[in-house]
Amino acid sequence: MGRPYYIFSNGRIKRKENTVYIENENGDKKAIPVEDIDTIHLYGEVDLNTKLLNFLSQQNKIVHVYNYYGFYAGSFMPRDRNVSGELTVRQVEHYLDPERRFFIAFSFVEGAMFHMIRNLREYKDTLEFQEKIKTELANASETKSINELMGCEGRARDAYYQAFNTILNNGFSIEKREKRPPGNPVNALISFANSMIYSTVLSEIYHTQLNPTISYLHEPRERRYSLSLDIAEIFKPLIADPVIFKLVNNNMIRLEDFDEDVNCCYMNETGRKKFLKEFDQKLTTTIKHRKLKRNVSYRTLIRLECYKLIKHLIGDELYTPFKAWW
Amino acid sequence: MAYLIVTYDIGEDRVNKVRKILKKYFTWVQNSVFEGDITEGKLMKCRLELEQVINKEEDSIYFYSLENRLNYRKTVMGVEKELTGNIL
Repeated sequence: MGRPYYIFSNGRIKRKENTVYIENENGDKKAIPVEDIDTIHLYGEVDLNTKLLNFLSQQNKIVHVYNYYGFYAGSFMPRDRNVSGELTVRQVEHYLDPERRFFIAFSFVEGAMFHMIRNLREYKDTLEFQEKIKTELANASETKSINELMGCEGRARDAYYQAFNTILNNGFSIEKREKRPPGNPVNALISFANSMIYSTVLSEIYHTQLNPTISYLHEPRERRYSLSLDIAEIFKPLIADPVIFKLVNNNMIRLEDFDEDVNCCYMNETGRKKFLKEFDQKLTTTIKHRKLKRNVSYRTLIRLECYKLIKHLIGDELYTPFKAWW
Repeated sequence: MAYLIVTYDIGEDRVNKVRKILKKYFTWVQNSVFEGDITEGKLMKCRLELEQVINKEEDSIYFYSLENRLNYRKTVMGVEKELTGNIL
């Protein structure tokens, strides 16, 4: 398994000598070992041609593209080799049956809330928020419809983000969660972090046979890979938020790392680089897996989550959301 | 996974072939020196490819492996030619 590569420089990427070259505006060239690539994330203004796309498709590498503000725009996915009609049928079956759909959707919410509470436990004066999330979790298990479930999830998330004010120091605070566009630095950080989680999860889903458009908690609609939103729920508080806390509280990221405009706020390039460095480190951190009895990275955990879901869908093993035990 | 430093000394007419193969697997750091993280399987694949092109009587390729990335520290004097990071 290779590493993700994050390209910020403007210029060109191309195929040369059976590997990938990036050439920046000043004409500096750098070779990236193709066997070391897992995915390529493009943030800069980059030119590329079909020769490169063909090569990447051959090597089965994914390219994610982000817009000027760092928001996920789309991906180049090589021809799908892992297609399984049967699994897709099963995925749809579980979506159509309200009871079965609810089971999976609730599992995602449960995993998400578990990790939210787990994050808050690390900090003092967050007891009241933890309690709120716990009550919502209890409410969620009583609900009958996905809509009510989403409501509980939303209220829990509100409480969770309120707790950020107690956790974050150094002049960072959040009044309420705002997206499209994010209005202040904390919102910008959360948005950027979430978009990274979505694309990471999507890359992992893509390595399995799952169909990323059929989801359970989020309504599967057109024009989005909603299954990656579903699975990301579990991993946002586990992977992204601790990175945010670390960056802010250790004064690694400052208010200068954000560009503010009228009612919107985005991270600039240095900010994004700082975030990605920590995020990447987090993803490669390994823990000893209790069942597999070997060290696995956080990124692999996401992949394993996909496998667990597949097992559930084909009726092999009941799905239980991942819960960090350490 | 292991972290490898690869150095080579190859006859002139074959050196480019070796360089091209190594470039697919490792990051170039200096003339005749590559380094990078690699899995056991990929290393095998790389060695097989190299075996096809080198002349075992004359050429040599050294693989220095570090079991753990954390056991390695690199300091550079003068110009650092190439960075091995993945944020570019």
